[in-house]
Amino acid sequence: MKKFFAVFKKEILVFLRNVGLVFILIYAFTFDIYIAGEGIEVKPRNVSIGYVNYSGELLAQKILAHFHAPEFQKPKRFLNEEELKKAVFNKEIMVGVIFDKGFEKDFIRKKEAKINVIIDATAAAQAEVSVQYLTQTIYSMIDGKMPLNIKVYKLFNPNSNSKWFMSLSELLSVVTMLSLVLIAVVFVKEKEAGTWDIMLLMPANGALIIFAKIASQIFILSVGIVIGIGLILFGVFDVPINGNLFYFFLLTFFFVMAMGGIALVIAAYSNSVLEVSQYTILVVMPLLFLSGAWTPIHSMAPFLQKLSIISPVKYYIEGAQSIFFRGTDFIDLLPYFMGEIIISAILFYLGYKKMGRLF
Amino acid sequence: MLEVRNVTVKYGNIVGVRNVSFKANSGEIIGFIGADGAGKSSTMHAIAGVKRFEGEIVFNGYAYHSPKEAEKIKPYLSLMPQGLGLVLYDNLSVKEHFEFFRNIRGVKKDIDYETRLLKMAGLYEFQDRLAGHLSGGMRQKLSLILALLPRPKLLILDEPTTGVDPISRKELWEIVDEFRKKEGIIALISTAYMQEAEKMDKLLLFDEGEVIAKGNAKELKESIKDYTYEGEIEREDCFSFNNRTYCLKPLNLKKAPPLLEGVFFVNALKKGKKNLKINLEEKDVKLPEVVVKAVGLTKKFGNFIADDHIDLELKSGEILGLLGANGAGKTTFIKMLLGLYPIDEGELYLLGKRIKSYEDRLELKSKIGYMSQRFALYEEMSVKENMEYFAKMHDLSPKETKEKIEYFSTLFGFKKYLNDFPKDLPLGINQRFSLSVALLHEPVVLFLDEPTSGVDTIARATFWRFLREIKEKWKISILITTHYMSEAEYCDRVVVLKRGKKIVDEEVKKLHEKFPGLSFEEIFIKYYEESG
Repeated sequence: MKKFFAVFKKEILVFLRNVGLVFILIYAFTFDIYIAGEGIEVKPRNVSIGYVNYSGELLAQKILAHFHAPEFQKPKRFLNEEELKKAVFNKEIMVGVIFDKGFEKDFIRKKEAKINVIIDATAAAQAEVSVQYLTQTIYSMIDGKMPLNIKVYKLFNPNSNSKWFMSLSELLSVVTMLSLVLIAVVFVKEKEAGTWDIMLLMPANGALIIFAKIASQIFILSVGIVIGIGLILFGVFDVPINGNLFYFFLLTFFFVMAMGGIALVIAAYSNSVLEVSQYTILVVMPLLFLSGAWTPIHSMAPFLQKLSIISPVKYYIEGAQSIFFRGTDFIDLLPYFMGEIIISAILFYLGYKKMGRLF
Repeated sequence: MLEVRNVTVKYGNIVGVRNVSFKANSGEIIGFIGADGAGKSSTMHAIAGVKRFEGEIVFNGYAYHSPKEAEKIKPYLSLMPQGLGLVLYDNLSVKEHFEFFRNIRGVKKDIDYETRLLKMAGLYEFQDRLAGHLSGGMRQKLSLILALLPRPKLLILDEPTTGVDPISRKELWEIVDEFRKKEGIIALISTAYMQEAEKMDKLLLFDEGEVIAKGNAKELKESIKDYTYEGEIEREDCFSFNNRTYCLKPLNLKKAPPLLEGVFFVNALKKGKKNLKINLEEKDVKLPEVVVKAVGLTKKFGNFIADDHIDLELKSGEILGLLGANGAGKTTFIKMLLGLYPIDEGELYLLGKRIKSYEDRLELKSKIGYMSQRFALYEEMSVKENMEYFAKMHDLSPKETKEKIEYFSTLFGFKKYLNDFPKDLPLGINQRFSLSVALLHEPVVLFLDEPTSGVDTIARATFWRFLREIKEKWKISILITTHYMSEAEYCDRVVVLKRGKKIVDEEVKKLHEKFPGLSFEEIFIKYYEESG
């Protein structure tokens, strides 16, 4: 046990003295999550809009009046269609609206009225949402004319606050990424610095060294997670915690062990920190794709949906979202825990075997 | 004509080399001699125009003061940087290297000249071989002829012979020698081998970023003949090494013909440096006569046989030198002895016990001390923290640890560096600190992998004196690898490896009896040539 703590303490010290790594950890658990929560928007925001009006002023201005800050910039008038098209082409305008000559007349006469819309689809999400917004605006103008009304009750996140969702997702992605990198680097650094042989020649069991090294990195990660949740999730974004935070940490522990297994395999094959980062990117991308962090799993291709069963990130993200937003009881969290524990046991065993062979 | 005037090279606030001045005529070989970090490479990079400097350099009437101004002379110079075959690409063949270098240096194809180069380097038959498959010596010769390809007027070679086998070393010298005579080029060559100094026309001795002496080998030796005595003594104001004693005060000893390395000792004495006192207390240790025994040890990497059926015995209280060029299989062999590599064939006995399994080894780890190449220890931890860590790993109590740190830091003279980080230490101090880490747990056998490469003369002498004391007083057996053939002199017995095979296993005394009057370098060349 003395040797375990000797190694543990050494790794913490080495980490703290490595200014670059400390910076990355702090950055990832604070600014990175903040930027993700603040920056990735699915509502239109500050969208540039331009229009050409060949029709009467009244109705057109009434519609255009709905496009205002903060969602939209002040609509900019163009004299003809060509100029508007050019502006869209030059990325000055994201959404262009053209009111045809007969628009106002047709509308009042209840004939088929038409608005032409040009969108810059390279900014797909924002442009699409703008068009929806435009459609909603028009429907609300002809209110009562529709026989059907939809009344929506938003659960868990009544204001549809995408910041909550995005910041938690980003925190989980950061944990995924950093757990791989930190645990792999703590081994590979010894190879890179040429201290690997000396480490092997210590009169200590290989397992002890491996576990002490992993434990030290889990400790560092935990500190990062506490900072990320406390400062950014709770502090800045006011993310609710409807479940028990302790369960989240427990789930994180099993998840990190699973990642540790993968990291050990990466570390066994890499000889430098550079190689670690290359392998990590190779592994992290499919892991995150399959996890449902970016696309809900049920909207994936069927075979990918099946594959996602073996992704440790899936159970982690679904479990974490249930704990934070749904406030799920422990008994209902069990599937996530079971999945995570099984995968973690398998991955860690494989990684440990692979690394152990080098000792 | 090359004239260097007051050149100073700085790396941020750190001075790489200060106020170097010298002149070189065409056809001359100028030797740069000194330890790693003494300023040799900095000077070379300044002259080659790849590093900013203060001062002035004049080459054939053109004066330059910066890398930008040096662009004009670059067509006339070739630089071969330090490191074995560092300029080569493993996946290109010899022929492709010629094409590539022809293109980047903008040289026209000249078949006669290229053939001549290839034949001189003994690479004519190997033109289709990939550089990655060449031996260390061949790689270095290829690098050299590539440097000669644009017919430079100024050839700058940074440690071209370090780690190269003795025969290739001889051939490298022959190539350089022929070219400077026939083409009248100026060659600047740095080296860590003192013996090579004899072949140079002018020498610059570097120490701590300064040129401490200039002149040819004879003049330099002459300058210290009054301070050189025969035999070795233990005094604070004298340095003793290699059967010579250097002292500024007159001694009651017989004068001896001076050696070039003596210049460094005398310079250190003039700077007021003191000889480190070495006095270890006797330890009574009972050990079997043979500490390590290897029978037919073999290691293969794919098709490549790194070590081919090597027998070796390390007796108690003996310093055994394991010599060989880079790639001869020394490090692989040590790693097998340490159990870091699985053994493909053969048997290994440690303290009379056959080592087979992981468990066998675990039991004996605490009996082994190991110092790896380049003294690798934890960079992010201070000297003291490193020692505390290793002490804990070896189950020393906090009280013992404190005592040991105190003891070793005083003994090896690094007490004032205890709170510094290893990379900030002078190389010689770093070396002794690494040795103390290897000795912390009182091992009975010590494995040292190239512990002296790059270290300055005085630190190297001190290190060897320590090894001798440790062997005699503490009865520790020492296995040491080195590519400095001359260091064989300080071992009790030497084993020489050549391409994975053992070609010499003999007591040093007996070798001298067998070849009276020959230096070790010459003896080894004889063995090398005999073994084919």
